[in-house]
Amino acid sequence: MTSTAEAVPRTRAHAEAVPAVEALGLGRRYGTVWALEDASFRLERGQFLTVLGPSGSGKSTLLKLVAGFERPDRGHVRLFGAEVDTVPPHRRPIGMVFQRLALFPHMTAAGNIAFPLEMRRFDPREIPARVERFLELVRLRGLGHRRPHELSGGQQQRVAIARALVFEPGLLLLDEPLASLDVRLKEEMQLEFRRIQRELGVTTINVTHDQREALVLSDRVIVMQGGRILQEGEPETVWRDPAHPFVARFLGVGTMLRGLAEAGPAIRIGDRRLPGRAPNPATAPRPGRPAVAALRAERVRIFAASGSPAPGTGFACRVTDTVFEGDRVLYELIVPELGEVRLRAVDLDPGGHARYRPGTQVTVAWSPDDLLLFDASLEPGSDP
Amino acid sequence: MALSPGRSGLGAGPSPAPYRLSWRILDALEAVAARWPARAEGAIRWLLLLPALLVVGLLVFGLLVMGDASLRVMDFRTYRLSEQHSLANYVRLWGWGAFHATLWRSLGATLLVTLLCLVLAFPYARALTRTSSARLRRLLLVGLFLPFFVGQVVRAYGWLVILGQQGLVNQVLGLLGLGPYRLLFAYETVLFGLVQYMLPFAVLMLAPALAAIPEEIERAAASCGASPVRALLRIVLPMARPGLVAAALVVATLTLTDFAMPAILGGGTNDFLANLVHDQFFRTSNAGLGSAIALVLTFLGTTVAGLLLALAGPGALGVRGAR
Amino acid sequence: MNDPSFFTSRRRLLGSATALAAGFAVPAVLRAQEPAKPAELIVRAWGGVWVDSLKKGVSDPFTAKTGIRIRHDLTEDNEIKPRIWAAVQQGRTPPIHVNWDTTANATSSALRGVCESLADLPNLAKVLPLAKPIGLEGVPIVNLYSYVYVLAYRPEVFPGGAPTSWSVLLEPRFKGRIALYNDGIGFHPVAQVMGGGKVSDIPGNMEPCWAFIRKLKEQKPLLGEDPDFTNWFQKGEIDVACTISSNAREAKAKGVNVAWTVPKEGAKVDTDGMWIPKGLTANELYWAKRYIDFALSTEAQQVWLDGLGLPGVAPGLRPPADLVGDPSYPTTEKDFERLILIPPRIQAEHTAEWFARFKEIMQS
Repeated sequence: MTSTAEAVPRTRAHAEAVPAVEALGLGRRYGTVWALEDASFRLERGQFLTVLGPSGSGKSTLLKLVAGFERPDRGHVRLFGAEVDTVPPHRRPIGMVFQRLALFPHMTAAGNIAFPLEMRRFDPREIPARVERFLELVRLRGLGHRRPHELSGGQQQRVAIARALVFEPGLLLLDEPLASLDVRLKEEMQLEFRRIQRELGVTTINVTHDQREALVLSDRVIVMQGGRILQEGEPETVWRDPAHPFVARFLGVGTMLRGLAEAGPAIRIGDRRLPGRAPNPATAPRPGRPAVAALRAERVRIFAASGSPAPGTGFACRVTDTVFEGDRVLYELIVPELGEVRLRAVDLDPGGHARYRPGTQVTVAWSPDDLLLFDASLEPGSDP
Repeated sequence: MALSPGRSGLGAGPSPAPYRLSWRILDALEAVAARWPARAEGAIRWLLLLPALLVVGLLVFGLLVMGDASLRVMDFRTYRLSEQHSLANYVRLWGWGAFHATLWRSLGATLLVTLLCLVLAFPYARALTRTSSARLRRLLLVGLFLPFFVGQVVRAYGWLVILGQQGLVNQVLGLLGLGPYRLLFAYETVLFGLVQYMLPFAVLMLAPALAAIPEEIERAAASCGASPVRALLRIVLPMARPGLVAAALVVATLTLTDFAMPAILGGGTNDFLANLVHDQFFRTSNAGLGSAIALVLTFLGTTVAGLLLALAGPGALGVRGAR
Repeated sequence: MNDPSFFTSRRRLLGSATALAAGFAVPAVLRAQEPAKPAELIVRAWGGVWVDSLKKGVSDPFTAKTGIRIRHDLTEDNEIKPRIWAAVQQGRTPPIHVNWDTTANATSSALRGVCESLADLPNLAKVLPLAKPIGLEGVPIVNLYSYVYVLAYRPEVFPGGAPTSWSVLLEPRFKGRIALYNDGIGFHPVAQVMGGGKVSDIPGNMEPCWAFIRKLKEQKPLLGEDPDFTNWFQKGEIDVACTISSNAREAKAKGVNVAWTVPKEGAKVDTDGMWIPKGLTANELYWAKRYIDFALSTEAQQVWLDGLGLPGVAPGLRPPADLVGDPSYPTTEKDFERLILIPPRIQAEHTAEWFARFKEIMQS
């Protein structure tokens, strides 16, 4: 059979029209458990997609189906317009960086990078120059003769990236390659991924449980949970308008409040009515039904007890914990008026010190736009 | 003192929990260890090594005694070894057709059995380390360890029962109107018995090496465009080399020095060197010639092991200081 | 040494002794001076029917008479030998008191000088001259019975009656279905005759023997030891074999249809004996000698050798019913004429050499 790489349409006009990746109702079952259900998405060429979710959300399964390591029990994968369900992984036009990098320990860095070229039948005369070029691209010039164990963690990452990209695949898959790195190196490598991806313009799918990484790197984000796609969209959209309480929580909302929905829309907690906003009609609470409200910590403004905001909008509360993080201060507060509910707030401009000590009485306030309302039945019983 | 969560709820006040006997023993041991002079640690290490060193030392002593005996000629009029030393026994071996035949038979079997065992053990070990079915893994493990409970001699006699003229195989062939065939007492029978005997050893040596190759590596090879066969040849086999060498080492040295299989399944005409040594010592009482053959056998075994280790490169067995 | 021809040895074998009542008659005078009895004596023996019959015929009655327990050590004869040699060389107590051994194997120990003299056994005077070893100085070994390396066969492959010549071993239909001892023992004199040579040329010129064995090699023989022959007949692996009659008899006892014969070219006869290693205390030596002396008695041999089906050296023995007139149980002069005895000393001195030649042919 012909390789899928050849099946990729050559004409530019046609190429523009066909998306790089299409998932059509993908499902994968292990035993009786569906690890992935009805997953559909579409990724345009050159875009960087991050699949975000906790472990067990089905994101790795999704990646395996795209890579061809496993076959879907339902649905289809299309790469560049061609259905690849029967195409084995080594015939798919895909480069991949693995969670534990999976460098070949018995080969040098250059050997690792040359390997896909040899396997994919590149002209042997062309290989050394190409390997050099990619060593340079990942800033490893002169280190090609080293074995993986003679390289630092970051250098190993770069070898893995070069190996995945050296044959200029149509699609790059990243399976949480940054998960085990320390924060500094992780941030450095994130920028590096972005630079290289932009430089080569390669379509990329990145799988991670790190929401920050998703926001930093991506053109598009998919959030998954329990084997299902909860939301797909641009990072800003997903951040601003999470379509599901889980998405809101996973993207780092500080507080979830429970109450009853009211028209407006609003949520009633005790005898206070809090106006808010339902970011997605499909998940909006119906009046009279239980609702949850997500409140972002950094959107909560804190005032000294005396310096009250506009009348009727603030809540008196008590500081129970103060965490000084240098560029910001995290507060935990108890709001008696809302049934002793705990609230998180972040002071993003503390000016070098924590203004309020535990025990201090303060007043907090927020804009209705920042209180996101959802149907409570989407959020099974958990209390943040 | 921080109380464990399990006990914090019990009763009023922080009454101390009953101090367990095992804790007391450990405390006592630690107290002794704390007083132990640091200097003694080295001595202890040597002391623990001593039994092993003693055994090896005895072996070396035995070799020296045999080396001496191999240089003395047996006088069959007095059944005593000569006083003076000479190379006569070795010269005799050089000119003795039976020795040459036996030598090449042993070496040939070593090569064939080792290759066959590696080829057969590889898929077994791979299935064992890769299967996702717990039932299959259990089955494979039982199949691996069961033979260890059945000694070599018992197994050889088992083959006599199965492969004999009236054995199971010939009975089945008889139902098909074939045979009976002579399946026993040939070189092939000995090889068969040896492969069957050595296979678990090979799997046992190979499995850890294969288990140490992450599945991710093979996926990486696939994502690089390597077909399963090319991934096997270029990635898996090279990475499994320490295990392959260890397996070859065990199988080759055990085969080269094997006694029971050729003795029982060979029908008397397929002796290995060990059988020849045994005959010299216990049948013709020629300790001189027997020692000479034994030393040649030892030399061959060492050479085979050395060649395999050289082939593997240093560090093949994971000993520190290599790599 | 002088080279006793096999003819003289055969004569000596034939020389029949007067039948004397043997028993355990020790003069009362001697009895009074008996040294202290050890609690037990250790006798090396072969397993199976061998040790069973020894226990029944010799050991148990000996214990009954003397009160000395007998322990049987079943270590192989070839394997006990180096241990005895080492013990004697190092002045240690040997591992056994009495060694039941093939005469050829025992002779190597005698040549090495590790055997006590048994010349003063009272019963020695009453038994066949065969009991005293040929070609050795003194009496380091006492022979107890003889046995024949017969041509054993399966009657159904010889519908016309027993084969009359060893040449049947070369018949193409028996390719892969014949068996010999794996050291060639018991077959050399026969091969010498079959190869056109003379028995009297042994050991000087044995080329005819080796030529015949080379021809036999083409027949792909199985090579084994005593239990193998019984087993192979039982399992249908072989049709013809050169083996000690006892093995064929045992196979027959197990219900296998096996018969045996002494072909016209003759068959090799050998003896087994007992000896005592040097290094025992005086009283142990005394009682070990008494044990062997008892093994020489008609009383003991009648029971013991009935079990083995072998002709003993004691006078007045009655053969077992199934072996009356059997060629492997020679009693008459005519029986003995067809049997060939190679003096054990010649065997002992050339075993290694013959073994090497035999292996050279069979292993290549």
